[in-house]
Amino acid sequence: MRLVNFIAGRIAVYVMVLAVGMTILFFVPRFAPTDPVDAMLAKIAVQSGYMDASQVDALRASLSDTFGLDGSLLEQYGAFLRRVFVEFDFGPSLSMYPTPVMELISNALPWTFGLLFSATIIAWVLGNFVGLLAGWKPNSNAGRAMEGLAICLYPIPYYIVALILSVLFSYVWAIFPLTTTIRGAPWSWDLVRSIVWNSFLPAMAIVITTFGWWIISVKAQTQALKEEEFVRYARLKGLSDARLLGRYILPNALLPQITFLALQIGLMFNGSLITEIIFDYPGLGLLIYKAVLQGDYNLLMGTISLSIVAVATATMIIDFLYPLIDPRIRHG
Amino acid sequence: MIEVDNVTLGYGSRNFITAVDGASMTIGRNEIVGVAGESGSGKSTLMRAIYGDFSTGLRLRSGRITATFPDRAPIDCSEMRKTWWQDISYVPQGSMSVLNPLMKVHKQLIDGLPKHKRKGDRRAIRRDLETFLAGLDLDPSVLDAYPHQLSGGMRQRVLVAIASYVGPHLILADEPTTALDVVVQKRILLMLVEIQRRLGNTLVLVSHDLGVHYQIADRLIIMFKGEVVETGPTDEIFANPKHEYTQRLIGSLPRLGTRKSTVTALRRATP
Repeated sequence: MRLVNFIAGRIAVYVMVLAVGMTILFFVPRFAPTDPVDAMLAKIAVQSGYMDASQVDALRASLSDTFGLDGSLLEQYGAFLRRVFVEFDFGPSLSMYPTPVMELISNALPWTFGLLFSATIIAWVLGNFVGLLAGWKPNSNAGRAMEGLAICLYPIPYYIVALILSVLFSYVWAIFPLTTTIRGAPWSWDLVRSIVWNSFLPAMAIVITTFGWWIISVKAQTQALKEEEFVRYARLKGLSDARLLGRYILPNALLPQITFLALQIGLMFNGSLITEIIFDYPGLGLLIYKAVLQGDYNLLMGTISLSIVAVATATMIIDFLYPLIDPRIRHG
Repeated sequence: MIEVDNVTLGYGSRNFITAVDGASMTIGRNEIVGVAGESGSGKSTLMRAIYGDFSTGLRLRSGRITATFPDRAPIDCSEMRKTWWQDISYVPQGSMSVLNPLMKVHKQLIDGLPKHKRKGDRRAIRRDLETFLAGLDLDPSVLDAYPHQLSGGMRQRVLVAIASYVGPHLILADEPTTALDVVVQKRILLMLVEIQRRLGNTLVLVSHDLGVHYQIADRLIIMFKGEVVETGPTDEIFANPKHEYTQRLIGSLPRLGTRKSTVTALRRATP
């Protein structure tokens, strides 16, 4: 019964977070001084030359309808919520009219997610492994070297690493492609190879810049845990180092790391703007970038909604998973 | 069983800080030895050295500690590690964080054992654990509990059970009743005595609480400022304390029928 209450409560919080997020998302652009219909009309007027007033009015009405700007603010709000939560429809893209926003997003999503997910998992596993060993023997040469490496890598801005990799491995030694071009029929080996080939450099750049942070954080955890009473007690029981690390330190050190990982996965839906620009990678980041540059309100609303939903969902999933990995929360 | 011969212990190498200064004592078979003394008297440091735990900067500057367990050649304390959780085990103070919070009690009961005893038929091990706990008047349901689900007293009893499940020749208990209420204290002391009687082994009990020693120790070792100031059978020491510190320590115990404040006696004794 307590479990049912917990799940129901958590889902209620989730729905509320989404509602608040979507409400803010709805109202903020409407307080902006620019009117997308006027902007569009101006654009059309420039292209088509003279239009008489009745034509302009008809166009204005039709555009207001397409953009969902008809009726009072409350009516618009209701229509917006219905479209977001019931129909999953953000209307057509304004800059790539008339392609629906959802189609653009669903084309870009697998790219971004595939790249960021694999890069984040690789960095997480590597970083935790190295950090655990570095924290276990912090005064050994290897431990010091690993910490030095992490401290050197961690503060380097991402775009520097990305540019260096791009210049070195696509320009000086043309091993990897400079911009992303994917070849191969859908669901073929050629396609997979092409994707891996094109994603290698951006993924490396992400791994290099993020895994320092994982090392530093898990190393601090490990060093703190080493001084814990239960680790000392287990050592006095005569447990080998391997079992001490594997059964006592690692599970306890990973708990906070799992939280961070899940949040990272939620944030992936924002795309990775700089990566995608530098490597011309057809993901969500590039899509958002274009939407901002071209004043594509619908596309912007669509991508931001997606990231609200993704972050809220990811945190909810952690909350549901946490009782499974931490007994203190399960029974507490 | 344990010979401590003129041992000086301390911490650090360049700035050596002495914690135990020229202590000697003998711990025999089949007895309960109480080690008493105030905080900082060196009793825990001496216990760590006997246990052979030289991990955090503890150093043996001079003297020898030798252990002679049945069926084993005498060994030096620097090699005690080989006997951990076989010939010797240890009961820590049962604080909140002394057990792994992510591991059920039954795993922590057996994970100090050698591999051939840990692995094998799970059901047989489980049955064995259940009968063992029942013998100690502990409910088998604690096996499936996580540490945070145990009360302070229960946690301490589990720690005693973990140390005695090994069936060792020597159990060191470091302040096992501190921070527990008197009723629970009594239960744990009875449990320790019961285990000692059953195994016929040796229990070394470290406590600053003379009342605890009075209840169960056969022999007492009194430490003061890093030195062993008095040893002898508990009854004799309580009846006729020889060292000035022991006299004041015993004088400070509250007694029925006396009204005089006894705190001043100790205050004078601890400069």
